[in-house]
Amino acid sequence: MSDYVLKTSNLTKQFKNQVALNKVNLSIKKGSIYGFIGQNGAGKSTFIRIVTGLASPTTGSIELFGQSNGQELIKARKRIGTIIEGPALYPHMTAAENLEAHRLLKGIPGNECVERTLAIVGLQDTGKKKAKNFSLGMKQRLGIGIALLGDPEFLILDEPINGLDPMGVVEIRELLKKLNQEYGMTILISSHILSELHLLATHYGIIHKGNLLEQLTVDELNAKCQQFLHIKVNNPEKAATIIETMLSTNNFEVMPDGCIKLFDYVDTPGKVSSILVNEGLVIEQLMPIGQDLESYFMNRIGGIHRG
Amino acid sequence: MDNLFKAEWFKLKKDRSLWTLIIILTAVSLSYPLLIVFDEGAGAIKVMDFYRNTILEGNNYVIRLVPCILAGFFISSEYSIGTMKSIAASGNSRVRLYFAKLIVYSIGAILISLIFPIIFTGAVSVSLQFNGMPGIGYFAGTIGLTILYTIAFASMMALFATIFTDSGKAIGFMLIFFIIFDSILYLLSGVSPVFETIFNYSVFKLFLDIVNLDTVHGAEMIKLILTPVVTFVAFGILGSILFHKKEIK
Repeated sequence: MSDYVLKTSNLTKQFKNQVALNKVNLSIKKGSIYGFIGQNGAGKSTFIRIVTGLASPTTGSIELFGQSNGQELIKARKRIGTIIEGPALYPHMTAAENLEAHRLLKGIPGNECVERTLAIVGLQDTGKKKAKNFSLGMKQRLGIGIALLGDPEFLILDEPINGLDPMGVVEIRELLKKLNQEYGMTILISSHILSELHLLATHYGIIHKGNLLEQLTVDELNAKCQQFLHIKVNNPEKAATIIETMLSTNNFEVMPDGCIKLFDYVDTPGKVSSILVNEGLVIEQLMPIGQDLESYFMNRIGGIHRG
Repeated sequence: MDNLFKAEWFKLKKDRSLWTLIIILTAVSLSYPLLIVFDEGAGAIKVMDFYRNTILEGNNYVIRLVPCILAGFFISSEYSIGTMKSIAASGNSRVRLYFAKLIVYSIGAILISLIFPIIFTGAVSVSLQFNGMPGIGYFAGTIGLTILYTIAFASMMALFATIFTDSGKAIGFMLIFFIIFDSILYLLSGVSPVFETIFNYSVFKLFLDIVNLDTVHGAEMIKLILTPVVTFVAFGILGSILFHKKEIK
């Protein structure tokens, strides 16, 4: 039995002249919460659409629960629950009717799971209210409820917390943690809210322009989260010139508020301070700071202008 | 496959376009006979004549046009509201998904197409005091052919509704197509013998013969029965191949 729920091998998707996915080799371990990070258009949704069978790859292969061939791969998809590019709801139906339609589609016997799922996602009191009259947050909850029907072993959630209020975000986070820890559900979650993802994911994959740049565990991420020196001086422009010339590095960033993030010399702040002081600058702040996931991601994809 | 039929049947029962169409056609069926009675008197017309000349002739438009609206809402809208994504990702083969959808949609189209022949005829029969009723064989035969030609057109409509993933575009295109295509085919049949053969063996021509059932025999009868069956199967297979290859957005 494979330790991996999902493995892709050189997965490539090309639309005419545009490569949406380029030889992606991604693997998701059983029981993990995999945070899938990338900008809009990076290839996240294309990847999810191929895994869920909505699109076919140009080249490469998928192995889902150890199955990679035709009918077996299709059957393996019965073991997953999905939200792809927003919740898929019938607007003229109530929450219970939406769940019932999907229960029948998935062939789940007995309709007691409908009430149970409504309670799990906090929609048990919506009664005869149609889905079209739901708030965005309620629609997201119902979408998650649909994905949870049939107790899938693998949840694929594309932007599941969009539109949720802070309480809703916390509730969904706790729910996903519970599903993962108590039921061993593996979760692939893509989100733009990286701070939220950082609280949840155990593994990360960073995708950029169709290329999977990196896969790492949360421990590896924490170790890799690059430190920097936060420097606040009376003359940032002069300080930038001094850092470039006297410290021989352009691995720094001048922030809009005039503060400087210096990604080198993190272990030798004394050297930096003495040079800046010797050049006549007044140092108001100089301290080492760790990066968060957002900064790490931005650095990894080269999204920050340095120097 | 059983669960797919149940899911589609559940959605069909909840489809408001189906119920709206059924209510409108039923209202027409129940109110129109009153106009005849007020206008011409109950004894002036035979039910058989009315059935042939008004109900079946009128139903020709219902069969090939009204289910287009249902196809737009029942099939195309699954793409536009995004639910087709969860259907396609449900772990069922695309071919089974397509045929479950097609068969349940065809049942909806049959319900629509039988309102005039059954409810209209019933209302007219009462209004005309059962004067000159059609024979049971003729009546049953026309009902059977109505069902066959309805599913043949439904099979084409399901294909178009799968191509046009927006309900508005799908309905607009299909209404225009099914209004003018038989005329185009008729014009082409005068130009080329190939098109003439196609037209003669197409549902677009043959469905007009439902009303002439009592005068059709032998090979012509077989043609009248087999053509819609072959059309349903052919377009069903074509649609399932298309759906199998389709990228769901």
